Amino acid sequence: MAIVETKELTKVYGRGDAAVTALRKVDLRVEPGEFVAVMGPSGCGKSTLLHLVGGLDRPTSGRVALNGQDLSELSDDALTRLRRREIGFVFQFYNLIPVLKAAENVALPLVLDGVSPRKAQSQAQLWLERVGLSDRTDHRPDELSGGQQQRVAIARALASEPALILADEPTGNLDSRAGDEIATLLRRVVDEWKRTVLMVTHDPRIAAYADRIIFLKDGTVVDEARLVGGNDGAEKLVRQRMEDL
Amino acid sequence: MSVRCALLGLLAQRPRHGYELHAAFEALVGGAENWDVSPAQVYSTLARLKEAGLVREEGLEQEGGPEKVIHAITPAGRRELEAWFSTPVRAEHQRDEFFVKLMLCLATGEVDPMTVIYAQRASLYQELHAVTTQRARADPRSELAHILLLDQAAMHLEADLRWLDMVEARLDEVRRQPLPEPQPRPRGRPRRAR
Repeated sequence: MAIVETKELTKVYGRGDAAVTALRKVDLRVEPGEFVAVMGPSGCGKSTLLHLVGGLDRPTSGRVALNGQDLSELSDDALTRLRRREIGFVFQFYNLIPVLKAAENVALPLVLDGVSPRKAQSQAQLWLERVGLSDRTDHRPDELSGGQQQRVAIARALASEPALILADEPTGNLDSRAGDEIATLLRRVVDEWKRTVLMVTHDPRIAAYADRIIFLKDGTVVDEARLVGGNDGAEKLVRQRMEDL
Repeated sequence: MSVRCALLGLLAQRPRHGYELHAAFEALVGGAENWDVSPAQVYSTLARLKEAGLVREEGLEQEGGPEKVIHAITPAGRRELEAWFSTPVRAEHQRDEFFVKLMLCLATGEVDPMTVIYAQRASLYQELHAVTTQRARADPRSELAHILLLDQAAMHLEADLRWLDMVEARLDEVRRQPLPEPQPRPRGRPRRAR
């Protein structure tokens, strides 16, 4: 079963003459263990798509199903619970709480979900260690670099052990080196920790880390590229290019 | 870049025999998978360098095995190398097969240009993914030279992808314009200006 499936997903903002169609009948399937990037020019609907998949917003028509569960059938409370337990969010500007230490930021969603503080703390330690920040657990966000803050945000997204990570321009606020580190970490989220990542980005360099890219334009999917498997030519092309240098 | 100048550079570093030169070249470019130059190519290039007076034989080396000729760079060779170092490398962006393909696709109307653009974009992304994967595997403590080469490849690919996005965005404008045609050449003798 697909972990994410959308059917004719449509989102219209505003009414009448002022109506803007952000997303038009999008069909999307993401399989468990995939790393999928969504690309397209600004205003193409890629963030809207991510918000609808994450249940942060409701579609005008069409549906979203996560592991076969239709989100439109859920009450607001049930949707909140599902978001907290089954989806991890990573945002462009990290969205960390400034007055809390790194470990407290990571533990917070667990505590809010009723997990004992002790268990939440140990989960936070574990994930901060995994993202390479075991020596920064007592630092507050303003004492960390942008790349480190985004690592904390990724640890927070993973701490509740969700199957799906939704990342909205996760490297948009970082320089290219820190951006590469975050993309490499997201790659590990898929390869090592066996989660599924759906990421919106406008940066070709970052999109190239994914297994598959979906191209949106004017609210519809116009193309799709599979970057792994079935293309032995790529390695050869790389070699050819190196010879051309 | 010419293998010829690379070999001159390696000989400027120190005199070497042919086999060693081949190994040094391979190490420099980060392995045969990046740039495969056969030993035969090294020897034939060496022969031409000698003919041109840029390299000379400096002696023989024999350590148990067969005799090996040691080659050294000559003063003329050093001047050639200096000239090479001081000349910028020309990137060949004008000879772009994709560009020609796209223009002909617009001219003939045989295929939807979007199909051509999307196929190219997918292929570039596949390449970029392969480069990214190779780069992630490389060890920054011992393979920095190789990493720099991969970075260059990645950045070229990124530039190509950005350009492709621009082509896609401006395709309608391009479509409305006539394709470049050769200037008609006047027949007969040119008229004398009065």
